[in-house]
Amino acid sequence: MTKDFAVPPVVFPTGGSSGGANVQQRRFAPIPFQQPPPSSSSQIPFLSFNMGSAAASSATQAGPFGGTISSSSSFGGGSPSFEDEEPLLDELGIHPDQIWKKTRSILNPFRINQTVHKDSDLSGPIFLYLALCLFQLLAGKIQFGVILGWIVVSSIFLYVVFNMLAGRNGNLNLHTCTSLVGYCLLPVVVLSAVSLFVPQGAGVVKYVLAGVFVLWSTRACSTLVVSLADGGEEHRGLIAYACFLIYTLFSLLVIF
Amino acid sequence: MYNNMGPQPGMPMHQGIPQPGMPMHPAIPQPSPSEYVQSNISRYFSDPQYYFQVNDQYVRNKLKIVLFPFLHRGHWTRISEPVGGRLSYKPPIYDINAPDLYIPLMAFGTYVVLAGLSLGLYGKFSPEALNWLFVKGMVGWFLQVMLLKISLLSLGSGEAPLLDIVAYAGYTFTGLCLAVLGKIIWGYSYYVLIPWTCLCTGVFLVKTMKRVLFAEARSYDSSRHHYLLIFVALAQFPLLIWLGNISVNWLF
Repeated sequence: MTKDFAVPPVVFPTGGSSGGANVQQRRFAPIPFQQPPPSSSSQIPFLSFNMGSAAASSATQAGPFGGTISSSSSFGGGSPSFEDEEPLLDELGIHPDQIWKKTRSILNPFRINQTVHKDSDLSGPIFLYLALCLFQLLAGKIQFGVILGWIVVSSIFLYVVFNMLAGRNGNLNLHTCTSLVGYCLLPVVVLSAVSLFVPQGAGVVKYVLAGVFVLWSTRACSTLVVSLADGGEEHRGLIAYACFLIYTLFSLLVIF
Repeated sequence: MYNNMGPQPGMPMHQGIPQPGMPMHPAIPQPSPSEYVQSNISRYFSDPQYYFQVNDQYVRNKLKIVLFPFLHRGHWTRISEPVGGRLSYKPPIYDINAPDLYIPLMAFGTYVVLAGLSLGLYGKFSPEALNWLFVKGMVGWFLQVMLLKISLLSLGSGEAPLLDIVAYAGYTFTGLCLAVLGKIIWGYSYYVLIPWTCLCTGVFLVKTMKRVLFAEARSYDSSRHHYLLIFVALAQFPLLIWLGNISVNWLF
């Protein structure tokens, strides 16, 4: 009734048995070179085999990968090396407190704090994009690809227009531009959330609301772009019109 | 003139200095291959930076000229200045008659947005429809460029910079935006605004092309000039009516 198959012995971190070490060495034998993982005797053998072989083959290709081996092999391994790792969000480059600070700076339509936007990041815009897609989904429109494509195209458009207008001393780069366009989508996200509750027949209310939010977005975006990159001061109105076009386009998606 | 240019890259330094035993002849600076390619590219595709040197006042005045060309009291010729031995035109900030690319680009964007709005008001909005409108606008711009380019070529010289022609062609979108805006606000105003726009665009293009032809054409053949200019003006009517007819499908 119980099938008989060879189960590799599971060794828990409190000191390995000799059987575990033997199995581990037998598994490791065909690989030409590997650095034995630091806490080798305290590993779950089949887990460490996978990590070890992957890390070992990469170690054969480039020497100083001992760090990788130790960090990847400590996945199944002992508790001290797990706690020494960087937190996941930091490793991915997502800083929630910075995202929240930047988002809050746009929430006040009359006074926008420009200093928090000095280092651009793309994780806040991705979060806002997902929120916009979520609200559109709740309204019955599946537009994930459309919104992403329009964000990319409109940030390239703003990048070209700003750098051409500013001339020789224009130094807006595409990363900053996309970050600003993404963060200033916040009013459009709020518009899409609010328009879920506007009753169906009242078209004029929707247009007026959309107008207010688009103007908010435009003011935020043009102020930030002009203050964060050189060369835009004497072209504020021209750049503001470009931003206005971009956010009107997004509001069309929300209204209709 | 070549004395002022200094040593050209790729040219040996002793050229031009009289060498003993060599015949005395003035050294002709030979352009290096990269310079040759660069100068040929810049003949057909001029530096786009020139077209974006605009400011608020220029934009306002230029819009007035494009939308109401009858009221322009001044002359239509571009002011030229000698720059480095070649004759070049003053940038748009200093010269109201110089073409720019900011207004055409923004007018095209406004046209796409307004057309999307108009589609939405008739209940036919979808992102794919907006993409089709964008492509339709691009085709319209391309057709207008072809029209102007062919009329230049048929008079024997097509040497105006391509971006100039693209800019002149793009000015039609300003009038078109006005017509579409009128259609959104009150449906019947469209039937007044479209002929007005066609007329204004026709007059603007005729006056501009007359100057361009005069500057570029080798032979001044009066009657052919005039027939071509009238053809350009008349061709605006079908083109703008096609572009102004906002609907989901390609043709009418």
